[in-house]
Amino acid sequence: MSSQPETMPALAQRADASYLDFVEGFREYILGKGADFEDRLNEELLAEERRRGKKWQELEEIRAHVHGLPLGRLRDRLARTQQEMKWHTLKRSFEAQRQSLTSQLAHWDTRGPGRLELDRQFVYPPYVNVHFHLQPAGYYKDELSGYLYHYGTKVFFRGDNDHDELHAKLVARVPAPADGRVERILDLACSIGQSSTAFKRRFPSAEVTGVDYSTPMLRVAHRRAAMLGDDVTFAQRLVEDTGYANGHFDITFAFIVFHELPLRIIHETVCEAARVTRKGGIFAIYDFIGTRDKSPFQRYHRWFDARHNGEPYSQDFCDCNLENILAKNGFKVAAAPVGQRSGGAGYMSNWFATRE
Amino acid sequence: MSDLQTPEGGTPLAGPDPVYLQDPVLDATVRMVVELAAQVWVERERRITLETVLESRGLLTREQLEAFKPTSAQAAALKEERNRFIEDVFKELRRIPVRQS
Repeated sequence: MSSQPETMPALAQRADASYLDFVEGFREYILGKGADFEDRLNEELLAEERRRGKKWQELEEIRAHVHGLPLGRLRDRLARTQQEMKWHTLKRSFEAQRQSLTSQLAHWDTRGPGRLELDRQFVYPPYVNVHFHLQPAGYYKDELSGYLYHYGTKVFFRGDNDHDELHAKLVARVPAPADGRVERILDLACSIGQSSTAFKRRFPSAEVTGVDYSTPMLRVAHRRAAMLGDDVTFAQRLVEDTGYANGHFDITFAFIVFHELPLRIIHETVCEAARVTRKGGIFAIYDFIGTRDKSPFQRYHRWFDARHNGEPYSQDFCDCNLENILAKNGFKVAAAPVGQRSGGAGYMSNWFATRE
Repeated sequence: MSDLQTPEGGTPLAGPDPVYLQDPVLDATVRMVVELAAQVWVERERRITLETVLESRGLLTREQLEAFKPTSAQAAALKEERNRFIEDVFKELRRIPVRQS
């Protein structure tokens, strides 16, 4: 058991915690081997390929086939339902303690270690006006959005990240620049700063900065880091226009960011990362694998997740060639797939890019 | 419910209450079953907690119940019980054939 202070927001009552514990277990059951939807549906898609004598080409063909299967339709119903159940209960539980939760944020806003840099003139670009993952009010329209995200992702990761274990693992995997110099690190779209603090712990003498567009996320990020005693700066800036000096950072990191950006902003963000990462520096990315590497069911799930789980830009991201975009912007790229897990890590990949 | 399109394009988002099972009644039935399961679990968790507290302390107050924190071993046992419960309720899912004969 961790001896660190508990940064996860407390729920209003014990029943909320056990309800969400159920949702977490149920999510594991329907995405994993319990109901075994994924493997069974993928096997059916492969069998249909054999029956037809040709590989699946168009997504529409795969979609029509899955929708023709009662099991496919039921799986979609359950996948959507567990998300709705999670947000309904979380929102109600935090709403019941809105005043104390907002007071906690105000308490930490000006306390260190670390610093919170909010831009009072900040204008949210239209593309962020999405309720990603069906989160009520999205990432920035509710003062409690950061708290909702923190507990919501705990359920999402199905026990793999209760105490930021996933972030620590992914940050540990990022290669240091060849010359070993790590003085400044940038965490793009840092949300509640779990990767940012993991970097600070791995490189204690480095200056770590997390940027995000969302005020509520940044406030929770700062509160969390300060509670943990981690000296990190959290600044309200756009990933595609950070405003930092050329070559300012030794490591730039993007944890599940790109699939939530429109294709136009993906190009701009890679360009911006190339600008702020110094020569020999590392740009590390963790995100969804590309369409060409997906199984037929994974292709279906990407469409489902995009349409039914508030991920409108993810299909375009998976269809694009991230390696080419990185190379075009002056990065030398190594991609490393992450180990399999149904509905989770099997869908993910690392890209470690060196600025040339 | 009509689709929602972001200003930057991408995949159109489903509206707030999509129908997956070709019959909204069936969708609602499934949702209710899952919700019922969640509620049953909440009650069962409460009872297990209550029993644990009673057993270990010999008395019960609301504050004690709310403040109860399981040990690592107790939490592990609780998770095991949770998984068993989910399996009991939803094992029927595996009996649904992938294709209708």
